[in-house]
Amino acid sequence: MPATEHQPSFLGRISIRRNQVTAMDGNHEQELEDLELFQRHIGDRFAELLSPPFSGESFLSISWLRKLVDVLLCCEAEFKAVLIMGRDPSQISKPPLDRSLSDYMERAVKVLDICNAVSGGVDSIRQCQKLAEIIVSALEQKPIGDGQVKRAKKALSALMSALAIDDKESNHPRYAERTWSFGRRGNNSGGNHKDRANHGSFRSLSMVVAKNWSAAKQIQAMSSNLAVPRGGESTGLVQPVYIMSNVMVFVMWALVAAIPCQERSGLLTHFQIPKQFGWAHSIIGMQEKIGEEWKKKEKKGSAGLLEEMQRMEKLGQSLIEFADGFQFPAEDEKVEEAAAQVAELAEICRRMEEGLLPLQQQIREVFHRIVRSRTEVQSVHVGR
Amino acid sequence: MEPPENYSTSTSFAEPFEDAQKIILRWDSTASEEARERMIFGGDRQEVDLYLQAVDEIQRSMSSTSISPPSSHHHDQDSNSNKVNSAIQIAMARLEDEFRNILINHTSPVEVDSLFILDHAPAPASSLNHNTSSVGSSNEFDQEEVGGGGGDHVDALDPIQRADSSNSSASYRSTSSIREIDLIPQEAVADLQSIAKRMISAGYLRECIQVYGSVRKSAVDASFRRLGIEKLSIGDIQRLEWEALETKIRRWIRAAKVCVRILFASEKKLCEEIFYGIGTAIDDACFMETVKGPAIQLFNFAEAISISRRSPEKMFKILDLHDALMDLLPDIEVVFESKSADSIRVQAAEILSRLAEAARGILSEFESAVLREPSRVPVPGGTIHPLTRYVMNYISLISDYKQTLIELIMSKPSTGSRYSGDPTTPDMEFAELEGKTPLALHLIWIIVILQFNLEGKSKHYKDASLAHLFIMNNVHYIVQKIKGSPELREMIGDDYLRKLTGKFRQAATSHQRATWVSVLYCLRDEGLHVSGSFSSGVSKSALRERFKTFNAMFEEVHRTQATWLIPDSQLREELRISISEKLIPAYRSFLGRFRSHIESGKHPENYIKYSVEDLESAVLDFFEGYPVSQHLRRRSQ
Repeated sequence: MPATEHQPSFLGRISIRRNQVTAMDGNHEQELEDLELFQRHIGDRFAELLSPPFSGESFLSISWLRKLVDVLLCCEAEFKAVLIMGRDPSQISKPPLDRSLSDYMERAVKVLDICNAVSGGVDSIRQCQKLAEIIVSALEQKPIGDGQVKRAKKALSALMSALAIDDKESNHPRYAERTWSFGRRGNNSGGNHKDRANHGSFRSLSMVVAKNWSAAKQIQAMSSNLAVPRGGESTGLVQPVYIMSNVMVFVMWALVAAIPCQERSGLLTHFQIPKQFGWAHSIIGMQEKIGEEWKKKEKKGSAGLLEEMQRMEKLGQSLIEFADGFQFPAEDEKVEEAAAQVAELAEICRRMEEGLLPLQQQIREVFHRIVRSRTEVQSVHVGR
Repeated sequence: MEPPENYSTSTSFAEPFEDAQKIILRWDSTASEEARERMIFGGDRQEVDLYLQAVDEIQRSMSSTSISPPSSHHHDQDSNSNKVNSAIQIAMARLEDEFRNILINHTSPVEVDSLFILDHAPAPASSLNHNTSSVGSSNEFDQEEVGGGGGDHVDALDPIQRADSSNSSASYRSTSSIREIDLIPQEAVADLQSIAKRMISAGYLRECIQVYGSVRKSAVDASFRRLGIEKLSIGDIQRLEWEALETKIRRWIRAAKVCVRILFASEKKLCEEIFYGIGTAIDDACFMETVKGPAIQLFNFAEAISISRRSPEKMFKILDLHDALMDLLPDIEVVFESKSADSIRVQAAEILSRLAEAARGILSEFESAVLREPSRVPVPGGTIHPLTRYVMNYISLISDYKQTLIELIMSKPSTGSRYSGDPTTPDMEFAELEGKTPLALHLIWIIVILQFNLEGKSKHYKDASLAHLFIMNNVHYIVQKIKGSPELREMIGDDYLRKLTGKFRQAATSHQRATWVSVLYCLRDEGLHVSGSFSSGVSKSALRERFKTFNAMFEEVHRTQATWLIPDSQLREELRISISEKLIPAYRSFLGRFRSHIESGKHPENYIKYSVEDLESAVLDFFEGYPVSQHLRRRSQ
């Protein structure tokens, strides 16, 4: 069943429930209970992301990100369920809920754009994967000869540029000229060609997104109006909306930090979830961790925090050293070391091959869910 | 597998290899300036052949050294294979550059102008074009502006707008089906083929795909920009004014047809040609490398439109977009048939489905809006309310789009369980509307709720008679609009039309009664005769009262109802005639019977102010919509 097939509106079910409402008090208790459960589940799910097998090395790996998106989808599903439980739909157009829902809607649009940008970013990671595969294919052959090493070097240098380009390329007018002009290139050196072509392809992919669009700014805007609900607003939907919004912002931020997408400079590294919320503990912990990593990355100027890309970068540098110092026939020691690294690189490629497409599919699912909620809330919100 | 010659000893390593190696090394662009400055392909054809032969020789050597039996000359063997591999790499690097060079030299953005062939064939029947006559008629162009936006300015530099204004249908014609063009001349294709073959058999498949993708990708991007396809985020699109979006949608529809049917299809063909016989996975990979980004960018726009906020004015452009995408879908399936293009096909189908949902949602929104339209200020003169015009125009347009909407609208209007017993919504029985499509039911429902709303509005008139007139005018307008559109009439059905007709006639009757009963009451017989008398004794004072009251009432009615308006001239006439038919004979007979009594008394002119002709001409003032002088014309003195 395609994701967009017509489904009964979840908000429609609210009005059915309305007719079944008993005493107001009884309902209120039920509400609180549901809220409790909701918060606990969120806390549990995010705690999983910090414990084995997701803790340690695989933090911010492809499989970790997939789990993260999965957690988001579960939370979102529960959020919808919470919204249905005997809530009064007439509350939706009254403050403070109407305000917090309209903020939610604004945020939803940003989430959609971020989903698209991140998906494009995954495509650019695939480019790196392909370059890495060339390297692997070249250096896997035994015995390693000059030819293979030269081949690998070419791909290695392209890979390193690709890994470093990341956000900065959008500020490079030079690239614009080089990629758009045509005509005879008889006197360009071969080396130049390769770089330009590869930069061209890397850059163009990220241009799926609008020119002035900035992931960092979107995240900034999303988090700027996450106002903690005041004490008196404990009934109704304000709490769940607040919680879900925080979850959403965190996940989007983590994705943007991990996966290269347009314009991440100035990405927030600090959020303001008050520590008193139990459900937020793991999230806060992860925020700190990722924030630290991001600051380190900005200093080094390397690409996304994705664990596989970080490793790829290290391996790439190491293999470049090997390649630079290579002379046929090479010493056994060095060859063995290189072989181990090549095997590791091959493993990373395999992980990418396995995991990138499913990750994109999950992100697409997030997209669908958000579109659906947005449409449904809008239809109840008529009259604005 | 041919038996290799003389490979067992390193000293007699085949001569052909050495010659070939020389050639390869000569063209090593990392080694000499000269090699960098010239290209092999594009120069002397013989050079090309020599080089390719050399490459083939090296490759042959490679396969022969790799199947050599183990021997004591292990070390030599390694160094041989090293030589060979090194030569291969140099050759491949060179071929890669040549490949790139050929591609770049023959790559230029597609001349978009040439894609809009100005042929003079009639436009294919579309839901918008009522006349299938020759192209270029401004009529046709106006019909396109259904959404209400102004015409496009003719911009000489913009091929899309040029095609738009002069020959809108022509551009539809040329992109009505897949039409591949040759992006690269055949000789170049042959050269590319020969390079690709060798790169792939040497195991340099990935490099080949990379270089191909990067050059062709730039070409597609450039063509994209020429087609005016913008990169907008979903946020941007939500913020734009709908009118601006309408223009973009129109443009997108035209561009998308060109993209899918010409651009992408041609790229696909090119890949298939260059990588012919090498295996489908490769040409698919190159194709996707080239078009994936642009395709996503293209469809993201339509997707953003499909998820935008629903409001009634968006209906028709959304339907246009839906129809265009529906039309395009089979070609999308063909062009993007490979497995690696799954996500694109799926996205296109999802967008189509969302557009359909949007259309349904908008219809609901529209119905709610009509029901809840809150204006309370009564329309002066009881004339046609702007809401009535808006709604009837809207549903006329809906009937224009009947072909599409009939497929999309699948459920009946929601009048049932959710709203039963609700005084703020009208009832509607569907029993008598058997056999009607859901779309027709919706249209009838819309008319029902329009009337319901109008009833509510009519209550804001202080004068009941005016309220009835208001209803009469508006329901009559509804009837006229339905009669004026065959599609609408066919869907609404004559049964309901009759009901509506009865309704406005009844309103007319109610109006008349409300106004004239009391006026005509003055002209009754009873109460004028002095009781108990056999003779024709008539109370003069009562009679005088009657005349005075009648005059005052009539004057009031005349003064007021002259300012009331019945826009439809025929209806206006009918009502006046109907009034006259009751008023004039009554007055005439009253005058006839009783004037002598007045005229025999003092100041008859104070009582018999008006002749029958005076009244007749006064009635002509009714419902004109503007005030008349207070004094009725007096014909007779």
